[in-house]
Amino acid sequence: MRVFVATTGFLAAILAQPLYAQSVNITADKATSTFTVGERNFEITRTQDVNATLQGDFAKTSRPCPEFCIQPMVVAPGIEPIGELEVLSFLETEVAAGTGLLIDARLPDWFGKGAIPAAVNVPFAALGAENPYQADILRALGAQEANGEVNFDSAQRLVIYDNGAWDEQASRAINSLVAAGYPASLIKNYRGGLEDWLHLGLSTVLP
Amino acid sequence: MIRSVVALFVFAIFLCAYIVLRPNTSNRPSTVETTDVTRAQNDSILGPIPDVIASLDSSITQAPLPQTAPSLSVPTDNAKMAETTANVLAGLGLTVAPTAPQPQDDPMRDMTANVLSGIGQFTGKQVTAGGDAPAPHTSLEMLVVQALQQGQSDAYIDTIVNEAAKAGTITIPQGLATANGTVDTAVLLYSLIEKARAAAGEPPLPPTGANTDIALASDQDADQRFYTVGTGDSLGAIAVKFYGSVEKYDLIYQANRKVLSSPNAIQVGQRLAIPEVAG
Repeated sequence: MRVFVATTGFLAAILAQPLYAQSVNITADKATSTFTVGERNFEITRTQDVNATLQGDFAKTSRPCPEFCIQPMVVAPGIEPIGELEVLSFLETEVAAGTGLLIDARLPDWFGKGAIPAAVNVPFAALGAENPYQADILRALGAQEANGEVNFDSAQRLVIYDNGAWDEQASRAINSLVAAGYPASLIKNYRGGLEDWLHLGLSTVLP
Repeated sequence: MIRSVVALFVFAIFLCAYIVLRPNTSNRPSTVETTDVTRAQNDSILGPIPDVIASLDSSITQAPLPQTAPSLSVPTDNAKMAETTANVLAGLGLTVAPTAPQPQDDPMRDMTANVLSGIGQFTGKQVTAGGDAPAPHTSLEMLVVQALQQGQSDAYIDTIVNEAAKAGTITIPQGLATANGTVDTAVLLYSLIEKARAAAGEPPLPPTGANTDIALASDQDADQRFYTVGTGDSLGAIAVKFYGSVEKYDLIYQANRKVLSSPNAIQVGQRLAIPEVAG
């Protein structure tokens, strides 16, 4: 009897293993995040291979600092740092509704190697005051000019990210936006960036 | 007494020397570990410390050997700007040879145009770059690229290019001025297609001269062809007619230096020699 129970338990454990391995969910009851922007459908899931590890650039631990220095959690006063679930929720609600944009602040060569689905590439350099066309970008983000003053009442809510905690591109983008008058309450920083995103096996796209 | 003080002093010196020199003698991997863990402990705003340490431990064991130091190359801004410019053209399916002269090149404008089109895909509203920018920043390329991105017609492009030329905000490339003093945008667009085809490895377009009504017989000498400039002709357009390539305008210009003061100074009724090209 005891042998039978042990054998059954052993078989059950073996059978349960592959089933368990095929369900790497985002949260306990959510396997995918789906949303539609305009006419484009997006789906974000996690890699199902439980033995997957990061390779290449994002597996590195010790980039030279300077210039790849650890960024603070709050990069400018009033800028809330957020994590993956908040990013997904932002995509499903604000971005899908056209009231928010997920901004990839990295330079185009980084963006071209892989980005979070539905992200828009706005390189930090384009947001700086040294760009003579900065005002055009602010207008595209919903800022309105009237009587020589810029009004951000109907501006987009933004979530900004870069490569991760060791990368200052998002910090620079955020500080440029705040310096240009963009309200800090409309900006959030996904501090973990693409590195944390990839570390969790979440989907990326090649633009 | 003095002897023991001296002994203590010497011992202190050795101790100091050991403390100072010790970090240099420790091996590299443990340095990495210590540094990283110290970062996590000192920076209270980082996440829960045990998790950080655990993840660091696992990542450190998996990491490549430290002597293959992370070499994350950061190209200069200029290189990236040039890339962005190429991206704008690539987005249109046009690849301009890097050697092509680009007068009034404005990388920030190119980058901005890229950003604006990206944002426009999500907001559904297109903002064009340079709305309140000074006019001298306009370049002929960007004018055409933007118009093409907006899906404008050839006639529209012809109008805006000529308006900009009239206002003096763009310069007319060599060989593109018509006998009427306007910009030959048809040839300009042809040139873009030509370059795109060359970049894609497709054979050059055949000369269009064979299909046109231009009578050459009466103008033909023994081994020298001639062409009489008509209304709206540009040196570039003539080059396309006879050679199938805008770039060949210089060949015609060089053969007619006596009557042409510049490639853009052609006039209706001028009789231009059209040199033969071997091959």
